[in-house]
Amino acid sequence: MLKQLGFESVELVAETGFNSSPKTRGTLFRGEKALSTKDGKEITDVKDSLAKYQSFFDAAYAEGSLDRKTKHLVALGASLAAGCEQ
Amino acid sequence: MTTQISQKDKNKIESGIRAKYEKVAGSPEGMFNYPTGRAGLEALSYDPGLIENLPEAVTASYCGVGNPFSLGPINKGDAVLDIGCGTGVDTILAAMMAGPEGKSVGVDIVADMLQRAKANLELTGLKNVTFRETSGEKLPFEDNSFDVVISNGVINLIPDKAAAMKEALRVLKPGGRLMIADQVLFGQVQKDLKDRIDTWFQ
Repeated sequence: MLKQLGFESVELVAETGFNSSPKTRGTLFRGEKALSTKDGKEITDVKDSLAKYQSFFDAAYAEGSLDRKTKHLVALGASLAAGCEQ
Repeated sequence: MTTQISQKDKNKIESGIRAKYEKVAGSPEGMFNYPTGRAGLEALSYDPGLIENLPEAVTASYCGVGNPFSLGPINKGDAVLDIGCGTGVDTILAAMMAGPEGKSVGVDIVADMLQRAKANLELTGLKNVTFRETSGEKLPFEDNSFDVVISNGVINLIPDKAAAMKEALRVLKPGGRLMIADQVLFGQVQKDLKDRIDTWFQ
């Protein structure tokens, strides 16, 4: 039942020996709630992608042979020529 | 087992539970087929270091069927929910383990058990424990608010077990743990629903 309801790592661990009747047995069991829902995982994937893009961006615009200002001007010119809206 | 239990039968079950456990609230001695009180705690291997810090009147009220804490740790700062807390022994122990930055909450439908739980709490002086009168089938707590949900000898009594377990899942934080001790029926479930209701809390 617990698995069907969405619990993970469901385990019947042991009997306790404390039985309330001949037909019932004291038992110990446990389960867990998942760390992230399906939506949560997607959010993490997007965050990962954004983080990677940010690293690329930072590397591309780091000070080097061309200073940062020049690099941005080159990018602006390229985007205007390409017709990017933003 | 997905047989729908009518509201009338639910009421009958809950009345039966109250009738039995109002007596248990006074003293569990002789009310169960297994040891209760300090003897019960020792037989179930509760941590002796923790038990010795409990007042005699508190340990004497114990009537659990297993040690839920043997299923995993209560970490400092944890928020713990005890479903069917009864006289609050497990709730109190959880609060001791969670420390002042943590807390424990006990819920039960039997007012007399909660009264005993509050009296027990007073004897310990703990400040991070609360008790509420409510059924496990509909918990008055936000989603994702507890690190651990425990229960001891109670789920078997709840008429709508699936609802109670769904609620437990809802209020657990992601990664949160369910740790349960309970009586499980082995063998055939009685086919006649009336028989099942009449012998609900055998």
